Amino acid sequence: MEGYDVVVIGAGNGGITASAAMAQKGLNILLLERHNIPGGCATSFCRGRFEFEVALHQLSGMGTVKKPGPLRMMLGSLGVLDDLEFVEMSELYSVMMPDGFKLSLKPDKEKVIKELQDRFPHEKKAIEKFFDLSYKYANDMLAAFIFKDPSPSREKYPTMYEYAFKPASEVLDSLISDPLLKAVLSVYWGYVGLPPNRLAFPYLAMIFFTYIEFKPFHIKGGSQALSNVIVNKFISQGGSVRFNCGAKEIKVENGKVTGVVTDDEEFIPARFVVSNASQVSTYVQLIDPQHVPNQVNREMRGRSLSPSAFSMFVGFDCEPDELGITEATTFLLDNIDFSDRVINQMKKLDIDDQLLVLSCYDVSDPEFSPPGTSQANIVTLKYGEPWLSIPPTQYHKTKFRCAEEMLRRVEAIYPAVRGHIEEIDVATPLTHMRYLGHPNGAIYGFEQYTKDSMFFQPGRYSPIEGLYFASGWTGDCGFHPTLQAGLSAAKSIVRKLETE
Amino acid sequence: MKKNIFEDFDGYNDIVEEIEHSRKYGINYSAERHSPAQFINRLHPPILNLRVSDIIEETYSTKTLRLIPDDGYLPPFLAGQYVALFLDMGGIRTSRPYSISSPPNQTGFYDITVRRVDGGLVSNYLLDEVSKGDRLQGSGPAGNFYYNPLFHDKNMVCLAGGSGITPFMSIVHEIADCGIDRTVFLLHGNKNLDDVIFHEKFKAISDRFENIRYIPVIEEPPNDYDGSRGLITGDLIKEKIGNLEDKTFYLCGPQGMYDFCIPELVRLGIPHKKIRKEIYGAPVNICDDPGWPENIKAETVFKVSINGGGTLDARAGEPLIMALEKRGVTVPSLCRSGECSMCRIRIISGKVFQPKGVPVRKSDRQFGYVHSCVSYPLDDLEIAL
Repeated sequence: MEGYDVVVIGAGNGGITASAAMAQKGLNILLLERHNIPGGCATSFCRGRFEFEVALHQLSGMGTVKKPGPLRMMLGSLGVLDDLEFVEMSELYSVMMPDGFKLSLKPDKEKVIKELQDRFPHEKKAIEKFFDLSYKYANDMLAAFIFKDPSPSREKYPTMYEYAFKPASEVLDSLISDPLLKAVLSVYWGYVGLPPNRLAFPYLAMIFFTYIEFKPFHIKGGSQALSNVIVNKFISQGGSVRFNCGAKEIKVENGKVTGVVTDDEEFIPARFVVSNASQVSTYVQLIDPQHVPNQVNREMRGRSLSPSAFSMFVGFDCEPDELGITEATTFLLDNIDFSDRVINQMKKLDIDDQLLVLSCYDVSDPEFSPPGTSQANIVTLKYGEPWLSIPPTQYHKTKFRCAEEMLRRVEAIYPAVRGHIEEIDVATPLTHMRYLGHPNGAIYGFEQYTKDSMFFQPGRYSPIEGLYFASGWTGDCGFHPTLQAGLSAAKSIVRKLETE
Repeated sequence: MKKNIFEDFDGYNDIVEEIEHSRKYGINYSAERHSPAQFINRLHPPILNLRVSDIIEETYSTKTLRLIPDDGYLPPFLAGQYVALFLDMGGIRTSRPYSISSPPNQTGFYDITVRRVDGGLVSNYLLDEVSKGDRLQGSGPAGNFYYNPLFHDKNMVCLAGGSGITPFMSIVHEIADCGIDRTVFLLHGNKNLDDVIFHEKFKAISDRFENIRYIPVIEEPPNDYDGSRGLITGDLIKEKIGNLEDKTFYLCGPQGMYDFCIPELVRLGIPHKKIRKEIYGAPVNICDDPGWPENIKAETVFKVSINGGGTLDARAGEPLIMALEKRGVTVPSLCRSGECSMCRIRIISGKVFQPKGVPVRKSDRQFGYVHSCVSYPLDDLEIAL
């Protein structure tokens, strides 16, 4: 076999779309994956009768066939839409509190506003203003960056110029006085990993905008189906994939990539490498330090690791409504203080009144679990660090203790759950570390402060020639952004080859 | 150079300053080489280098191999879990899972207990060829057969068939050693009384501990035997454990035992979620599976081509992974029972037989991925590793 044009390290979202897009352009690609399945986060695992979804909560950017969103168009360009079936979720999200508070929002701007105004009549105006502002921001962003206005200005896009770097809490505080409403409006911070006082307002605005305009979706067969379909497309276009084979070293000479050494010591020459591994392990573990420019370490030095997660995968021997679960996505809220207190909680092992999200895919797709059963994926964010210092002998005990705390929180809202558990598996930050290879099990890569956004960071580019990144480490996290990251890396390489 | 538009956004200069500060006082990642693996390997090492420190004769058919770590460290496990042994036997590299029979509180060694199986390639090798001081390679502990405090009952009813007793030795020992507040009813089914693994040990433990009940059940006992006879029936279970409420049932043994005991439990009204079943290797005779096509004999040989390259012969009655290993093609494997998905391969063309209930991901099925440890060729095959 003649050599490869590109070696892609890691079959996560970014790795597989990069591979598939380059194979589509006729390049000879080798995709390496340490594990026996593709997907990275976008995977599933089987326990008993259940196949548990690992990571996908609500797919953003899909849109409908009539009004396609950016993700649908992107998957269409990869030629994989026909092999996938998407399920539209009928709720944006719901919020439940142990005191009986319950609120459920539909993915429709007017309905969201009306529902919130009915519940918070004293904040009628503020609610309208918040959504108006979010939409104005999103529209400015789209016009300036997605549709690439050649001469943008403050006059044309006043909201963007004013709000792009503002914390979400500052915007919420300026409009709203009811702390419960503020909490209800900012639960999506959990999808980014920073509480509203640290999260930039644009994240919140864009999340609302995209989920409302393009609707939240799930996939038949879960995110593993997406990963398998993309890899299958890649293979059918002549791509090579090696499972159970990680990369050991990226060889660099004179500032240029020369190839990759695999775990079984095989050297594979290539001019281009796309790393879907974490930026930290790519530069620290995979490349000989003498070839890593100082600039890289300096840039990374300014960035901190995002939280990891503590997750529970539960299979029930009954339908969701028997448990009182009537929405696909529910945030379990026990405390409406979303200040730095949240960060402190995420730094502790134990789960007390932290925000939890419970996803029950069976609500929107009754075929998701076997007939007469259902499953829930319950997640809370936790930094990995405290887990690193637990003696191995105490690991299982600690894991069960924290899971018990989490289960109690869930029982406080849905008292019937424990009596219906048929399977349960628990993932700690160490589990995420094991399967993703990310330092501290950070599920969102580097923390997504404004200073770490693509405006300020090198993104997919590296000062090492031929090296590109495609992952949540170099831009936004979540399915749509990471899938897009792969396409962007592919585009850079294809363009580079075309100009030669 | 053209100015980026975001440089005019409100607050831009503050962020630039923030970046400078954070780069001055931040984390030096380059000083933390190898950290993820270093932490993970304490719990889930990919390979354990072990040495046989002792061989204990249990019955005429069974020995316990005591395995100590070559580098002084063994990862913790949950009572009931297994390790896979990776073996090189006359040029064939293969693996087999063995439940750890020693308790988790015993951190100095793992015991595995091996019974001779007629024609058993690996069991006979371990019993006849391995001696004290030999080195073996194992996996880290794995498996989902353990007491789960989140939803299992504190009253455990353990049903063991023959050598399926081994995980229960670990479970019972831990409860006794550590004074754990749980009750165990252990029913151990065997054909003959003279080959009951751990018979004396369990008798001694149950004599000393009120919360451990040991009930051997012998299919063909001597005439003067005064214990339970026959099979582990629902009636016997009910008689021995009394109240069926608040109990979780754990089964470990050959397929035939599951086929008999699970309907018995269901007949007693035990809900599905209270019945936990350990994996027990690939079926001994796949052709007996109710779904097996009649026209294909176990000895029928098919051609298997790999990655568009080499071709090898594979018998219909033998798991694909064995055929591959016998020709020197190693596929990673762990549970060898269809559960862990380590040995996932893709069937590009041709048909394989997979017993019902093997947990293969839905989308894996869609694209022809199978677990090669429980897949049997029914056709000439083209596969991708």
